[in-house]
Amino acid sequence: MNSSGSVSGGRLPLAFLPEGAEGIVLEVRGGQGVTRHLEDMGFASPARVKVLKSCPPGAMLVMVKDSRIALGRGMAMKILVRSIEEP
Amino acid sequence: MIRAALIGNPNVGKTEIFNRLTGLSQKVGNFPGVTVEKKAGRLVHQGREIEVVDLPGTYSLTAHSVDELVARDYIVLERPEVIVDIVDGTNLERNLYLTLLLLEMDANLVVALNRWDMVKARGMEIDIEKLSELLGCPVVPTVAITGDGLEDLKDSIVDAAGQKRAKGQDAALNYGCDIERLISKVEDLIRKSPALVEKYPQRWLAIKMLEGDEMAMEQTRACLSSSQLAEILSIIEAVEAAIK
Amino acid sequence: MSEYAENLSSALVQRRYEWIASTVDSTVKKGSGEIFTLTDMLDQVFLDKHLGIPIFLTILWTMFQFAFAVSEPFVVIIERVFEMLGAWVNQAISDPYLASFVSVGVIGGLGSVLVFVPPIFGLFLALSILEDSGYMARAAFVMDRFMYRLGLHGRSFIPLMIGFGCNVPAIMATRSMDSEKDRMITMLISPLISCSARLPVYVLIAGALFGASYAGTAVFAVYALGIVLAVVMALIFRRTLFKGEPSPFVLELPTYAVPDASSAILHMWSRGRMFLKKAGTIIFWATIIVWLLSVHPWEATSGGQVIAESYIAWIGHAIEPVFQPFGWDWMAAVALLFGLVAKEVVVGTYGILLGAEEAGLGDALVSQGLFTPLTGFAFMAFVLIYVPCVAVIGTIAKETNSWRWPAFALVYQTALAFIVTGVIIAVGRLAGLS
Repeated sequence: MNSSGSVSGGRLPLAFLPEGAEGIVLEVRGGQGVTRHLEDMGFASPARVKVLKSCPPGAMLVMVKDSRIALGRGMAMKILVRSIEEP
Repeated sequence: MIRAALIGNPNVGKTEIFNRLTGLSQKVGNFPGVTVEKKAGRLVHQGREIEVVDLPGTYSLTAHSVDELVARDYIVLERPEVIVDIVDGTNLERNLYLTLLLLEMDANLVVALNRWDMVKARGMEIDIEKLSELLGCPVVPTVAITGDGLEDLKDSIVDAAGQKRAKGQDAALNYGCDIERLISKVEDLIRKSPALVEKYPQRWLAIKMLEGDEMAMEQTRACLSSSQLAEILSIIEAVEAAIK
Repeated sequence: MSEYAENLSSALVQRRYEWIASTVDSTVKKGSGEIFTLTDMLDQVFLDKHLGIPIFLTILWTMFQFAFAVSEPFVVIIERVFEMLGAWVNQAISDPYLASFVSVGVIGGLGSVLVFVPPIFGLFLALSILEDSGYMARAAFVMDRFMYRLGLHGRSFIPLMIGFGCNVPAIMATRSMDSEKDRMITMLISPLISCSARLPVYVLIAGALFGASYAGTAVFAVYALGIVLAVVMALIFRRTLFKGEPSPFVLELPTYAVPDASSAILHMWSRGRMFLKKAGTIIFWATIIVWLLSVHPWEATSGGQVIAESYIAWIGHAIEPVFQPFGWDWMAAVALLFGLVAKEVVVGTYGILLGAEEAGLGDALVSQGLFTPLTGFAFMAFVLIYVPCVAVIGTIAKETNSWRWPAFALVYQTALAFIVTGVIIAVGRLAGLS
């Protein structure tokens, strides 16, 4: 797998995943500070994420590395994921 | 007196452990906040006096917020004899990240594997000996709420204070030969400044520079010649270009 | 090089996570694994799109109820003790000057402040329980949608919550925020959140003027006014002084836990003792100064009996014109002046001026006709808004490492107090109130 996109399965911002959906983090976009902070919090490729709650336009609640992280919409837009189809 | 600092991610029970260790001997600098202020307390164990400082809860040491900066500055500049990393045993995957960063700082580390009761309740099994071996530092299971394991933790703090961690001891994490080569290149340049060698762990500073950490860059600018600095920057640029 | 990395920094991070994953793999055997934990279950309810905010408001209301219910018996005990002490001192000390100093200055002044220690500790206990149980972070999540519109995010919400207890720890709690702009806005609006130190004033005025059935509503209205003003000021600051988007919101929600009693009490103590310290030092000295000014010149006031002849009355009359448009007399002027030290002192000052114990203070206010319901409510609003206490000013100075921002806070809040109070009085008079 490469990181330059065009992978089938789609490459979309985490913010677009519906409640209950899961994905794999591909990349974190944004300034160095923000990217690094998100990575330190566990949103580093290829971490697995699951959307627990999504209340647009408010924050979303995501499960990553065994803990629940509340993420603002803006932040969730910076995290690009590949969605995993439910088995 | 042994100076020990407590550090850990938020919500791992660090404050409870601090309270258990120091009881009512706590001194809070100026006004107490949640965990924002530097709190200190004392205890006596095995006839040794230990001063414990509670550092802010943090996920990493990138100086992202004031809290992280306080914790990082304390470890780098104050050089406490022992650093106790409180880890949530039920969530090693997240918590070991900070542990790894601390090991990189050449910290004399003791890992408290907290929530040990929850680990058992969930039917998890953790091979403590192996974990301790992989991390290269003592690992002590604790239950902050009941106080179980705290005597062992105190023992470990006293033991660790007795045996200084060897400088430049083998790093727990090998970044792979490509990156390791870069790290040692930058380390070589850092070694040319006695002031930097005196002040910072070299490997840590090298890694921070490769990460483009602003604070690290700032510190080195004063100590290295402009040509040395330019060399480091060109190493980083070349790698970034190669990745893109 | 790592296959996913976009840059060197990310590559380093990924290598760390890879190492951690392999370490965890070789040392941890996961249990049967809970699919749906208690935390998930509770989150389904607490974080619900529709239920979340009503539940939060209910919890907030319960928290206040709890704080006052728990503290009430202690308040009664303290009141009794100070009443008895005062009576005993008057009998035991024959020298009138010394008797006045001890009974009015020390016991009266301190007593009128110490009765508020129990509710303040109750509030801090409630906040500690909310925090230790893991709910506080949920409140931040639930409120994010609302806070975002203010140009802030959910994380600013926790310091503001703490502000209901005391603004000083609230300002200190802003330290964990990532963005300097967000932090400044939160810091500057947090004094508008009505801290427990202002409560004694509301209780005194509302209790005396609105009767038992409406007092609660009046106090609630002042709290609400504070929140509304905080919102308005946040919007203004975001559009003027601190332009830009709110910083990204990232917050871990801990698993729910049953709060441990000893740690909740320790937590409460570490915050509440600040108030005790304040009562013991700043407030104590302020009330002594008020007493000194109120009984001197000793002959002219006939030993503190005729306060109208005292220095304090002179000061009061000098600054009275500023507050006359609001319908307040010289006593209010003096009380507000000394309230700069700490807002509890407003009550202590009235205690000395009216020469009444805490319990009788409300009656004295009414019998002397010092306030109408309108001017009384305006007074409560003024106390809410004008200059945060010295401790807050000092904390802002320390946290921002400058004197510019505390000076700014002082000026903007005083100006805002005059504007809002003026509006309340004007609207009230238009509506035919006096």
